[in-house]
Amino acid sequence: MSEDKKEKAYRPLQTQGLLQQLAFRHMLEAHAASEDGKLAWVTSGFPVEIPRSMEIGISYPEQYGAVVAVEKMGPLLCSYGEELGYSQELCSYALANIGSVEHPDESPGGGLPEPQALLACNNICGTVLKWYDAVSQMTGAPVFLVDTPALDSEQQPHHLKYVVHGLQKLVDFLATTFNTSLEEERLNQVAEFSTKAVDLWTKALKACKNKPSPLNSPDRFLAMTPVVSMRGTDYCLEYYESLLQEVKERVKQGLGAITKEEKVRLLWDNIPPFYQFRFFNSLAKRGIVFPADSYTHAWSGRIEGDDLFQGVATLYSNVYLNKGLDAKVDKMCQLIKEYELDGFVLFSDRSCKRYSLGQLVSKEIVSEKTGVPGVVIEGDHVDSRLFNEAQIQTRVDALLEMLI
Amino acid sequence: MGYEEAMEQTNEELKQLIAAGKRVIGYIYPHTPIEIILGHGLTPSLVGTSPGVTGAFEASLQTFTCAFARNLFSQRVNDQLPAITGLIFPGNTCDSLQNVADVWRIRFPDDNVFRLTYPVADQSEAAVQYFAEEIRILSKTLEETFGQPFNENEYDAAVTLVSAFREAAQFLYASRVLDPQSITYANLAGLVRGFLLSPELGSLSEIEAIVHNVQQHLMEKGLLQDAKKLQKAILKGNLEKVEISSDLTSLRIAVAGGMVEPQAIANLLDSIPEVTDDVMVIDILSFGFRTVFTPQPSPPGNCFEQTARSILNAPTEPTQEGLPRRVEFLKSMLTKLSIDGLIICEQSFCDPDQFEAPSLEAAASEVNVPSVRLPLDPELSDRARLEVRIQSFLETLHST
Repeated sequence: MSEDKKEKAYRPLQTQGLLQQLAFRHMLEAHAASEDGKLAWVTSGFPVEIPRSMEIGISYPEQYGAVVAVEKMGPLLCSYGEELGYSQELCSYALANIGSVEHPDESPGGGLPEPQALLACNNICGTVLKWYDAVSQMTGAPVFLVDTPALDSEQQPHHLKYVVHGLQKLVDFLATTFNTSLEEERLNQVAEFSTKAVDLWTKALKACKNKPSPLNSPDRFLAMTPVVSMRGTDYCLEYYESLLQEVKERVKQGLGAITKEEKVRLLWDNIPPFYQFRFFNSLAKRGIVFPADSYTHAWSGRIEGDDLFQGVATLYSNVYLNKGLDAKVDKMCQLIKEYELDGFVLFSDRSCKRYSLGQLVSKEIVSEKTGVPGVVIEGDHVDSRLFNEAQIQTRVDALLEMLI
Repeated sequence: MGYEEAMEQTNEELKQLIAAGKRVIGYIYPHTPIEIILGHGLTPSLVGTSPGVTGAFEASLQTFTCAFARNLFSQRVNDQLPAITGLIFPGNTCDSLQNVADVWRIRFPDDNVFRLTYPVADQSEAAVQYFAEEIRILSKTLEETFGQPFNENEYDAAVTLVSAFREAAQFLYASRVLDPQSITYANLAGLVRGFLLSPELGSLSEIEAIVHNVQQHLMEKGLLQDAKKLQKAILKGNLEKVEISSDLTSLRIAVAGGMVEPQAIANLLDSIPEVTDDVMVIDILSFGFRTVFTPQPSPPGNCFEQTARSILNAPTEPTQEGLPRRVEFLKSMLTKLSIDGLIICEQSFCDPDQFEAPSLEAAASEVNVPSVRLPLDPELSDRARLEVRIQSFLETLHST
């Protein structure tokens, strides 16, 4: 085998092993909770600190969707969702999940464990309510929606009051459904774990301002798993302590995420095509790295203030996807500037209207404001049928020609 | 009149209003507080999709944007939208309209674009208070933008006007259930559209005149009191005590879906040979049934609270929490109103429609009512396929 073939384009993280252990642990805990009748499926932007502090087990269908995609089972499970009558035009996270509920035996790991409740928060998109309604009809688990209406500007008092009311109703719902109660001390503890983990994660993200960047996008897409799906646990916090340590060590030694010399630093926008990380690796071989992306940066922010409910309501109402196009543009410009990026790639994800619609306009505005070029490529984050590798390569090459 | 001609006529009427000096505020989502807008001395007008529009969205929106939003955007790019003074987008209803409003503001910076954000969770009074404040903020913004303050007397007059329209339209809906020949569906859809296009005494008088005739017609048939009772039952959302005569020999179908133009459905039916819109007994569409059967604003509370409560007590949309209730209501409609078949409309790339459709199909199946799904778009692309699908469905029902 030639030396070129043997050399990997990326440097694997040592904490990868720990991440896999945590994922396995999380899965076991979820199965146990389901068997005890104490499992809730939640959306990725849900204020998970509340159910977690009420000792309810948690599973994340979106994170499972990423696993489905990585296992290249997106087309199969989505097709099962379509067989049940759901349009192919719908979100592939939802389709794959619906397909998986119908055919757990053909799903990775035998599917997600059966839920006793479905907890949705529409701060990431409006689809989640409809998706969970569909799953509710299949499983019998009731849906609870924390409604966080999208914000045009600063959150107003009446909005905060409405969301806090929703959180109070959530506590009542969980207490009734799971015969449990909320202890303030436990909520404080979970919130502290969550905030600390997010702080550490944010520091790891910011370390990518260094050259070379210690993390590439695929590293972050995997490393974000605990902050999304294990937020509020002590072991999530422990993971990010380890990750940050490794990242700091890389920075100290001048080791980048990619083995080649960095030639071009790019921003990635949107959820990635989880089944096609080789896209990033092939670019890495050419010295192209993604030190920042809008998706992993969305998990930031702290629960603050003396009133935890207000703190939770504020944090979860103000997430990246719950704000308008202006906020998205500002964030991208900020990342491009702070991370000294040469260009940006907007992944127009057919499944995700909330994230994708507006990209054609934001491409122009971000280029104008930052002076760097960008490109729009099309695909889907779970359904590989919608990923045209050749077309994408052509567009990315056109961008790179401007930069190299 | 074909669908395209009907929509063109609608736009012409709107242009005449504007030419007459009316300041017209367009709105997109059916449950917009038009009483409040009228209270500012402005004219609210439901902006409709145009079947004849040439696609012009590609520079700004991807093709997976909801077909409804794409159509409106294309109209704007092509300067085909009437010269409305402002446009109200809904917030928190669906991701397409949420994002398209932002794109619209950027692409057309001189347009007055407003957003009214809706609660979608079933939080009762907390939702009312939240929404009341959103409506108040909209009212304040309208005042600041147009220099026309809110006037309580004009608001009260608007409530009377809109309530009278709803009362009249509800009665016509109920009368068609008992006797579909009392007024054609196309006529009813046109009357509703006409009022929502231009909510003023002229359009109210027109519908009230027709109500008078229909009342006479039903009285002669001994159905008038039944129609009034049915109207009340539907408004309450409780059909338990409804009994439709078993003397029905004609086919009876219902249409369900979201933001599909009732006139488009009427026109499709009229285009099918040997089919009249008598078969269409009732729709459960956003711009039809759900708008018409909205309860009127009433105490307690100030005008913003009253309007919020009125809107939030309307039949829920696919964009809102409440799928189990919608499904149960559909089943009761299908059984109690003796419906033989259900057409389920799905707007292309509309998440609420497309997620809800399988549930509506299953609901119909549970009560042994055959159904057919109709994927469509505002341009009625592939119209022939749609007509054939409906025709085949009706023929299947006839033969069973």
